[in-house]
Amino acid sequence: MVRELAEAGVFGVAVPEDQGGLGMGLAAGGVIAEEVGRVFAPEPVVSTIGLSLGLLRRLCPDHPKMAQLIGGEISLAVAWQERGPDGAPADATCRYADGKLTGGKAWVVGAIGSHGFLVVAEQDDGPVLVLAEADAQGLVIDKRTQADGSSLGELSFSGTPAAELASSGAVLTALAEAVADATALAAAELVGVSERAFEITLDYIKTREQFDKPIGSFQVIQHRAVDLNVMCEVAQAGVREALAQMDSETDPKVRARLASRAKARAVTAAKKITRDAIQLHGAVGYTDEFDIGLYLNRALVLSAWLGDDAYHRRLWFEAREQEGAAQ
Amino acid sequence: MTDWNAMSDADFRKEVRAFFEAEYPEELRHLPHRPKFAEIEHWHRKLHAKGWVAPAWPAEFGGMGLNAAKLLIFYEEQQRWGVNRGRDMGVQMVGPLIIKFGTQEQKDYWLPRILSCEDIWCQGYSEPGAGSDLANLRTRAEIDGDDFVINGQKIWTTMAHDATHIFMLVRTDPDAPKKQQGISFLLAPMDQPGIEVRTITTLSGETEFCEVFFDNARTPRENLVGELNKGWTMAKALLSFERIFIGSPSLAQNALGQLESFARGRGAFDDPVFRDRFAQAALDVEDHAALYARFADQLKRGETLGADVSMLKIWVTECFQRITELMIEAAGPDGGSIGPLQVGNVSVDVLSSFYKARPTTIYGGSNEIQRNILSKAVLGLPG
Ligand SMILES: Cc1cc2nc3c(=O)[nH]c(=O)nc-3n(C[C@H](O)[C@H](O)[C@H](O)COP(=O)(O)OP(=O)(O)OC[C@H]3O[C@@H](n4cnc5c(N)ncnc54)[C@H](O)[C@@H]3O)c2cc1C
Repeated sequence: MVRELAEAGVFGVAVPEDQGGLGMGLAAGGVIAEEVGRVFAPEPVVSTIGLSLGLLRRLCPDHPKMAQLIGGEISLAVAWQERGPDGAPADATCRYADGKLTGGKAWVVGAIGSHGFLVVAEQDDGPVLVLAEADAQGLVIDKRTQADGSSLGELSFSGTPAAELASSGAVLTALAEAVADATALAAAELVGVSERAFEITLDYIKTREQFDKPIGSFQVIQHRAVDLNVMCEVAQAGVREALAQMDSETDPKVRARLASRAKARAVTAAKKITRDAIQLHGAVGYTDEFDIGLYLNRALVLSAWLGDDAYHRRLWFEAREQEGAAQ
Repeated sequence: MTDWNAMSDADFRKEVRAFFEAEYPEELRHLPHRPKFAEIEHWHRKLHAKGWVAPAWPAEFGGMGLNAAKLLIFYEEQQRWGVNRGRDMGVQMVGPLIIKFGTQEQKDYWLPRILSCEDIWCQGYSEPGAGSDLANLRTRAEIDGDDFVINGQKIWTTMAHDATHIFMLVRTDPDAPKKQQGISFLLAPMDQPGIEVRTITTLSGETEFCEVFFDNARTPRENLVGELNKGWTMAKALLSFERIFIGSPSLAQNALGQLESFARGRGAFDDPVFRDRFAQAALDVEDHAALYARFADQLKRGETLGADVSMLKIWVTECFQRITELMIEAAGPDGGSIGPLQVGNVSVDVLSSFYKARPTTIYGGSNEIQRNILSKAVLGLPG
């Protein structure tokens, strides 16, 4: 599947043409992400387009791994977040010195099966992006299985060799931009999840009969279906508009605000739609034999990844306040 | 005569905006109530002199002849500047019907009088027993010599107490096999002994709508528009453009702007719970506007809108209501007080906004009726 996607140019969709990509921007990336959400593709498409390539194309566009990523020959997971002693996200403490990594990284998407890791670490004179091979010495990967069957990696490094790709403040700037891209694309993927979950549910309420009628002939069910449909359309329109605006916007703060807008909307919609979908299916919705549950689970995972709706509403509001104060 | 449609959207918008900003009286901006004609007559005269009373009518009948795209821009600018729609039932509802279904004599007689507001119209559709189920209407019109004689009652007739004429749906064939058949579209003068108007006071204390009683009221037979017993299909044919108009983001956008300045003045943003709810509302408005733009683009490409456009109305009216509810929350102990509240240099009438938002989910096809329509026409659900 990865190969097919790569041949279609999927991974390079948002990479500029002079860097070997298609140069079609996030809006086109979003259309792909919606499709990924609809078909429930387990491959880390969005994290590759948004995070891995998002980082490399901004920091080291000439690196040979770029072409390999675009061509689907390898995958590289991005390790940037860290878990504090209380289990919640914390400031980075993972160290890079004398060509070696020490410390740990958490919530790494696509860690299992990845050919290597793009690790954001600290060195004496500031942040650094390094590449550690998957089989590097002293690297331990702890797998955490997610609701949808995918997994997140918790990495620990003890003197793990890694090659420096970029350093200085540019690393954090590029990281923030790549995270914004990935956040927006995750929103688009959630739109696809919502749309498909709604379609499955609509089919179901048209065919399932009780009291000698399709349950979709009951007004309560009809009005709930309409509300889910409206929610879905608003989400699609809002997310697509946000992604298109990100393409024409250069200020990273504004782009981050737009990404938050997209994710806040997409999570709100996906949560409501996939949960109501279970209710409208009745007991079969609660079994693991029916597809609808997959979409609920995928929505859970995509909602938690890179921040849920409440989190992004907060970021969105803060960004809006800052922009207002700056004017 | 200017061909507005030949202008670029941007130029047209600029021209409309400039006119409103220069000419519309400041004290009439964002009027919280429906004005009587006398209150806005001065503005109407200006609009009439400019030839801008009927943006949607073809130029040959004295309209601006705008296509859908330009029309949308016109209304967007009107709402943005808080320009009152005036007493536009004649322009919005009777005029188009006469243009489409009326005789030459009817066009020649009525249309200029609508434009000049010599006649001021009210809409007599709803009755005590015919609200959502409008086809259930009972008000009778019977032919008697050269006249129709009308008996029955209309209700919720907006501004009937300040109207010279009423356009109405009446039952002309009580024996028709289906209740949608046997309904006709009739025009009648209000100033006659057979018609009695009683105002109804709304929750907000305004007298906006009325009951209208017909006791052997008369109107000449030539005031039948279209064919006898074909009124239902004619009235339905009018609704298509209104459905995007009624779902436009402006009411909610204006309310959000008010909420923001009020909440800021009141320090409500110090509360993280309020911040989140504000962000939710603001994003609801922003994402609705994105969906609205999608439908507007459809119109601009010359496509006709499907029944799915109703989702705009559902979303925006409910969002409008939530925003005005947040205003009340931000007002704290003032949340039950009538009249404007001064906060810094803004003055906000919290209750008036709240009241104004309530009927938006009732009129124009209630939101429940819109959901019925969407479920059948768009989702294809049975029953
Ligand atoms: C401010 C205002 C101005 C108005 N101006 C005019 C005017 O100028 N001229 C005019 O003719 N009319 C006017 N109306 C009337 C308006 O068109 C009606 O209020 C509307 O059609 C609803 O009818 P109703 O009020 O009788 O409510 P009902 O039809 O009795 O509805 C009551 C409740 O039941 C729900 N309901 C009804 N049927 C169904 C169903 N099948 N499924 C689910 N729920 C249902 C409704 O959604 C509503 O919540 C105005 C109304 C308002 C509020």
